[in-house]
Amino acid sequence: MKQFIALTKKEFFESHATYRVYILLAVFAIFGLMGPMMALLMPVIFEMMAADMAAMGMTLEIPEPTAQDAWTQFFSTFAQMGTLALGIIFSGVMANDLNRGTLVNLLTMGLKRHTVILAKFFTATVLWTAAFLLAVGTAYMYTAFYFEMDTIAHVLLVFGAPWLFGVFMLALLIFGGTLFGNFYGALAVCFGVFFALIAVNILPAANRFNPASLAGGTLSIIMGAGEAADFIPAMFVCAGVIVLLIIVSILAFNHKKL
Amino acid sequence: MFEEIMPFLPFIIPLVIIQLGLMLVSVVHVIRHDTFRVGNKVIWLLVCILGQMIGPILYFTIGKGDE
Repeated sequence: MKQFIALTKKEFFESHATYRVYILLAVFAIFGLMGPMMALLMPVIFEMMAADMAAMGMTLEIPEPTAQDAWTQFFSTFAQMGTLALGIIFSGVMANDLNRGTLVNLLTMGLKRHTVILAKFFTATVLWTAAFLLAVGTAYMYTAFYFEMDTIAHVLLVFGAPWLFGVFMLALLIFGGTLFGNFYGALAVCFGVFFALIAVNILPAANRFNPASLAGGTLSIIMGAGEAADFIPAMFVCAGVIVLLIIVSILAFNHKKL
Repeated sequence: MFEEIMPFLPFIIPLVIIQLGLMLVSVVHVIRHDTFRVGNKVIWLLVCILGQMIGPILYFTIGKGDE
């Protein structure tokens, strides 16, 4: 436990020294702003188009933007740009230490190898949680201010699902980083699995169990179309795979030559 | 023109602050350091200035050299 705390402190300091934490918070604050902003901008863009269309003899009905539009924009940027940004920002989480050889001294002095993986995963998860809360908080405040918002049913599940998917991405990055020892490998594993899961999502039967449906899928609950129960199996699968990935990473790291 | 922008100021002001902040921090960092993992000073200056949000992210994750 002492080792774990010491290593976690080191990880947090490293996140500060490499600017990782600041970049992460800045980027996700922007994502939070983007959702409601895009929803507000849509009618303005449509108006410009409508003028052109009117010249061609077509009329365009411009609907008033609603809170649902804001959440739609938020979830779609989050599922695509959010995943991409999270992957890139945390791609060096294993590789930096492995490349610089900074762990060799610590490990020869008796640091347990599994502590390294657990401390890195814990720190990354805490940072991701902070960034996620910032993005959702910003989006929530702006949406509540600019639109009439109904209370969101199953709030914990609606926002917990994309959060859990982010943790899944972090576990993949640590797994890939441990296997390949560089950030290309971490990114390749992370996005490889991500795109494979999206491809699998085409099959309707797999939807319920596919972690990829958590990335932006819970939007359907806000829109009133989805059922909370539809996402429970995927969340269990996702949580199970995260635990499995961390265990396999520890096993792989135990056998790795530094 | 200004009246059209007015309702968007609560979005524009924080966005501009965050983006300019990211750009300034990364540009200052590029200028004050001489080692890069990939590329060189000129390339990273251009990426950080022109790359909006992506530029600084790429610099700090991929380009920044170890001290």
